[in-house]
Amino acid sequence: MNPTAPRLLQLQFFAALREQAGCSTLAVETAARTPAELYRELQACRGLTLPAELLRVAVNARYVAMDTPLQAGDHVVFIPPVAGG
Amino acid sequence: MFELADQPIDSAAWRTRLAHGAAGALVVFEGWVRNHHLGRPVTELEYEAFDAHARLEGEAIIAEVEQDYPGCRVCCVHRTGRLRVGELSVWIGAAAPHRAAAFLACRQVIEELKRRLPVWKKEHHPDGATEWVNCTAEAATSRLSPETYHARQIALPEVGAAGQAALAAASLLVVGVGGLGCPAALYLATAGLGRLTLADGGLVELSNLHRQILFTADEVGVAKATAAAARLKAHNPLARIEAFATRVTPLNVRTLVAGRTAVLDCTDNFTARFLLHDACRAAGVPLVSAAVHRFEGELTVYAPGTPGCLHCQWPAHRPAELDATGDCASGPVFAPTVGVLGVMQAAEALKLILRTPGADFRHTRLLNLLDASVLAVERTANPSCPVCGQPAIIRSDRTPSRPDVILTEEAFVALGPVRTAWLLEAGETARAGFPGAECVLAGDVLRLRELAAAGPLVLACRSGVRSAALARLLRAEGMGAVFARAVGAT
Ligand SMILES: [Zn+2]
Repeated sequence: MNPTAPRLLQLQFFAALREQAGCSTLAVETAARTPAELYRELQACRGLTLPAELLRVAVNARYVAMDTPLQAGDHVVFIPPVAGG
Repeated sequence: MFELADQPIDSAAWRTRLAHGAAGALVVFEGWVRNHHLGRPVTELEYEAFDAHARLEGEAIIAEVEQDYPGCRVCCVHRTGRLRVGELSVWIGAAAPHRAAAFLACRQVIEELKRRLPVWKKEHHPDGATEWVNCTAEAATSRLSPETYHARQIALPEVGAAGQAALAAASLLVVGVGGLGCPAALYLATAGLGRLTLADGGLVELSNLHRQILFTADEVGVAKATAAAARLKAHNPLARIEAFATRVTPLNVRTLVAGRTAVLDCTDNFTARFLLHDACRAAGVPLVSAAVHRFEGELTVYAPGTPGCLHCQWPAHRPAELDATGDCASGPVFAPTVGVLGVMQAAEALKLILRTPGADFRHTRLLNLLDASVLAVERTANPSCPVCGQPAIIRSDRTPSRPDVILTEEAFVALGPVRTAWLLEAGETARAGFPGAECVLAGDVLRLRELAAAGPLVLACRSGVRSAALARLLRAEGMGAVFARAVGAT
């Protein structure tokens, strides 16, 4: 598969990111190849203000590195700094 | 057991779930909603969870803690939704046979949960303003910054940003979390290493506390690796520390050593020292070794490019016999001796990672704390060492001839089908001198020991000298049926 061809991803937002994005879930068609690229896109078009270095990312319910290649259909969650307890 | 709850927590019911006959202590942590945060009044908190992920992470945290503290049972419930001041946001109970483990386990759950659980909270202020905790610009700048933590270390010309990056990419293993391992681990845990693993199968004992300075008197009976990792994580929350609360054995040593930047030998016996040395040598991983006797100690770095090996020093000695001659495992120890040596081990390991100019790994250091002297002894390779000597120089006549080790061709044939290892010198093509033999690098004593442990073993090599020397070495270690073929390649 062409790595730069647009693909459909399922996004889910929580807490501060949910409020900034204005939705909990979002299906996007994107040419972003990695979570890092995807987050830069979202910052530009959705006005997300949290700096990327504060975030972790879970793809298909597993924490992965920000430069992990994304596949069509992936479920991507950017995780803001947690504050349980 | 872990739960997310959108209704008030019934702490009495949770307490009942933990009751069991073997439990002698229950430690409970309750997180309460308070009316202020960072100087601002708070009226309400709103908790939001990434449900599926939070449940998995919560279960994982509890499973880890229950594994770290055998016999301990842990329950945790975390609220979601809107909570008023004074309400219970999290309840953690740890029931264990003894209070030390219960306190440690409970603490570990809340610390891990605050770090890992995908749960967020939003503060509501009396003026109607709201704020997601930890998600503001101030929170971002006030969080624990590795750059600030390590600033005084990075300022060293010998470290700098590149050195700090090398430390962050390094993986270290400390074997033995005792008198040497405690001070060594303390300085490694603050260095900014990518990964630090503490391996020790023992428990904290009262008579060891005078030198095992990471442990407190109320931790007696807890696994040393677990207690040390908990202590070091509290000391430096940025450190990535793993506890391996199991003895290092021939079965797990390869996996433990694989991929390490360096290994610290902080053990107190020759059996473990030879095992680690041979595993590191086979994997090409530097080993920083130390040993102490009362007021004296010795520090040696075995690394690719340094002269000789541990077998040079103790040719054909049985580790168990060496252990019987000393008293390091149970004898008297002047605590500062292990303290100084352990810290020196940490320094040598960090210099290995940093490739510090001026570091000298070719000498063994002999310390004497009675007169506070350090003597540098130049190490030389023992040319007749069965492991690292050259076959042309290994003089078979230096060890008393042991006819039962050398097999004549007739005796070899008479032995019938038997496992055979063909010993390769460095750079020699991996092709056995005769069919059915496994090729083993001559220096890989670990592999030879594994083969010998599985049954009768015959060693052979091109010269016939190395095989005889290594067969004698394995015999001396107590392996029974190890032989060498009298002749080399056929
Ligand atoms: Zn040697």
